[in-house]
Amino acid sequence: MAEKERWGVANIYSSFNNTIITITDITGAETITQWSGGKVVRADRQESSPFAAMEAATRAADDVKEKGIIGLHIKVRAPGGNGPRTPGPGAQATIRALARAGIRIGKIEDVTPIPHDGTGRPGGKRGRRV
Amino acid sequence: MPNTEYLKIPKERIGVLIGKEGVTKEHVENMTQTELDIESETGSVTISPSESMEDPLSVWKARYIIKAIGRGFSPETALKLLDDDYILDIINLPDFVGKSKKAIQRQKGRIIGREGRTKEIIKEMTNVDLSVYGKTVALIGDMERLQIAKEAVKMILEGVRHKTVYSFLEKKKQELKRKEFENIIIKD
Repeated sequence: MAEKERWGVANIYSSFNNTIITITDITGAETITQWSGGKVVRADRQESSPFAAMEAATRAADDVKEKGIIGLHIKVRAPGGNGPRTPGPGAQATIRALARAGIRIGKIEDVTPIPHDGTGRPGGKRGRRV
Repeated sequence: MPNTEYLKIPKERIGVLIGKEGVTKEHVENMTQTELDIESETGSVTISPSESMEDPLSVWKARYIIKAIGRGFSPETALKLLDDDYILDIINLPDFVGKSKKAIQRQKGRIIGREGRTKEIIKEMTNVDLSVYGKTVALIGDMERLQIAKEAVKMILEGVRHKTVYSFLEKKKQELKRKEFENIIIKD
């Protein structure tokens, strides 16, 4: 079979506490590589920083290029549900770092799970009491 | 790369998005390298990347900018989102105070304060831009400060006294200062 352009999917989960990058093949069933902010920095509070995300993304890009994938579609996800629905600070940094590492960026999609009225918010009737 | 995005903004904000003779619209298009297709009757906006687009994130950014304008920000403030550090966060009031129109009105008043005093204090203490519009409160600022401002707004919504919120903001401001100081020391 002639070698064609191979594409993959980068699933980016970006919360306020961490950024997790999972790169799979186009079907999403086979994981190629997995990196997170926590794998590249020591301090807990830096896990979600744009710097950690950038570092993780460049390493993920290296792994991906080794496998002969030239482009990635992107699925960004925030915690969703009852939590925040806007992606954290690592999301933009990740995408930018991937692009800078020489990987082509295809579609960017937001896949944050949004409830069609799910479980109740934490806090109860009288709110959070400190 | 076909990568278009659709979104809807309130009809009365369309005029702001377009600007006088289309100045604002053009400015947003130039800054983000996108093309905007605005339907003024329904308020739906289509964002498509222009051919010369280099930054893969520009459509995303344009979307946030338009959303911010739709949420009551002035175009100048919304364009701050071009910077990577700035993010937009929207708090939906009915999630906190219920659907009752009176309750929403009341809580909006509490966030703004007498002659806008509370709003000004939140803005000043945290360096975050705040817009109370319709059923939402929208915030633009960098991540850390935005978290503080959001916490403060949530406290007000939960019925905490204004005095308590002010002292909370004061405390957080001191903490931020100390953190910045520590970071400088570490770098040296």
